[in-house]
Amino acid sequence: MKQLLTALRRTPYQTLAVFSSLFLTLFLSLFLIFFLNFLYGLLGYIESRPQVTIYFQNEVSEESILKVKGELEQTGKVESVKYISKNDAYALYKNLNKDNPLLLEMVSPDILPASLEIFAKKPAYLPEIATYLNTVTGKDEVNFQKNVVDKLLSLTSVIRAMSLGFFVFLMSTTIIILTTITHFKIALKKDEIELLRLMGASAGYVRKPFMDQALFLGFITSTVVYMLFGGIFFFLYPSIRGYLSGVQSLFVDLGPYKLTVWPISIEYAGGLYILLTGFGMCIAGLATYFATHKYLIIQRG
Amino acid sequence: MIQFEIVTKMYPLGVAALDGVSFVIDRNEFTFLVGTSGAGKTTILNLILGDLYPNVGTVIVNDIDISSKKNDQIEELRKHIGVVFQDFKILHDKDVFENIALGLYIQKLSLKKIKEQVREVLTLVGLQDRERYFPVQLSAGELQRVAIARALCGDRHIILADEPTGNLDPKTTWDIMKIFKKVETHKTIIIATHNTDIVNSMKKRVLVLKKGKLIKDVQKGGYEL
Repeated sequence: MKQLLTALRRTPYQTLAVFSSLFLTLFLSLFLIFFLNFLYGLLGYIESRPQVTIYFQNEVSEESILKVKGELEQTGKVESVKYISKNDAYALYKNLNKDNPLLLEMVSPDILPASLEIFAKKPAYLPEIATYLNTVTGKDEVNFQKNVVDKLLSLTSVIRAMSLGFFVFLMSTTIIILTTITHFKIALKKDEIELLRLMGASAGYVRKPFMDQALFLGFITSTVVYMLFGGIFFFLYPSIRGYLSGVQSLFVDLGPYKLTVWPISIEYAGGLYILLTGFGMCIAGLATYFATHKYLIIQRG
Repeated sequence: MIQFEIVTKMYPLGVAALDGVSFVIDRNEFTFLVGTSGAGKTTILNLILGDLYPNVGTVIVNDIDISSKKNDQIEELRKHIGVVFQDFKILHDKDVFENIALGLYIQKLSLKKIKEQVREVLTLVGLQDRERYFPVQLSAGELQRVAIARALCGDRHIILADEPTGNLDPKTTWDIMKIFKKVETHKTIIIATHNTDIVNSMKKRVLVLKKGKLIKDVQKGGYEL
């Protein structure tokens, strides 16, 4: 460790250049990852809301509504159908407005419509279900969120594609910059490398101090980025919480495991740190490997 | 043992640096390579070191065929060869101890052993009080002694010296040669030199090269071209 720190201290400008390039890349990458995770969480949240809701006119009997429910369930295209009677609607209304007695006094169960909340198995079934609901006798209104979900889906795809492109560009640029900086470092150590090779040092032995420095800088930079990002996030936390009011939690679906993105879970925070550190060390290590590779082949005439 | 069997080394543009050279140097033998510039002395040293490979013939050093292109074999061989250069090749950002210890770190010795060996070899070359000096604080003769100390350190039983006294005054030259004399009983030493006095005085084996050919191989010989 002492040798490593001495080597970094003796090349302050190269060290600073590596740190700065890595810092920019890692900060932007962390922002992208974080943003995308939030977006996916939000998409999942919206998809979990009732996708089609039909409100019935007052004179429609509960029996007729349950008949419609049964017909929908038999289509095989719905995940679930939830019947909300007038009384249920009133209970919900009371709960939502419990702090406002004036609003409660003005409303009775009679004026609230009964409804069905329908969750489709696939977003593709939504138009068909909505068309069917529009033909139901006694229908008052059909609320259909397909457009919102579709827009969010396409927005997420575009952002994901753009982020991926940007991410690849950022990573390759950083690797090129770090490789160039490491070339400078190697040029400074050219005599030593030459001598070590003549004395029988293996490529790994010569590469090791450069790799150690790169991995150390990768680790330190990602830790600094993470801490700074964390600081900014907690500074903005009240605003984000205000913006997401009403949203209990956001998840990212990772197959068998659901990662809580909001509010930030320890698993998510830890996972991000490991990912960022691994990424930082990987970029720095890869760039150093490329830079040292051509110097370490025994050139025999 | 070092064995050259009808070795020819061509450089690009068809220049023959060595032309059908054969000789054997036994373990712990002291040998001078003499010849005019371009005669092939450095090429022989580079072939022994595995820095070059022959176009024709075989070079065998410590039972390793240099023509083999296996890097790990060459690396292993080089761990047993010490090299002394005319321009010393001392690293200026490292002190005397660190310069000498370079080869020992490669051999992955413990720090205790490294210290022991460096101090032992520093005493041998008469620089025991210069351990923490930096190259800028040393004279040319002292720098060459550091280079020799580095070549002698560790399990390096073949010492190749390319014009080791080329940049030194006569007195320092003899001091350097005395160091080689001290270790000659347990090291194979090959010195490429133009220094007539040294070759004539030391009465060791002399290989005389001319235009890439070995023209003389004399035991206890002198400098004659």
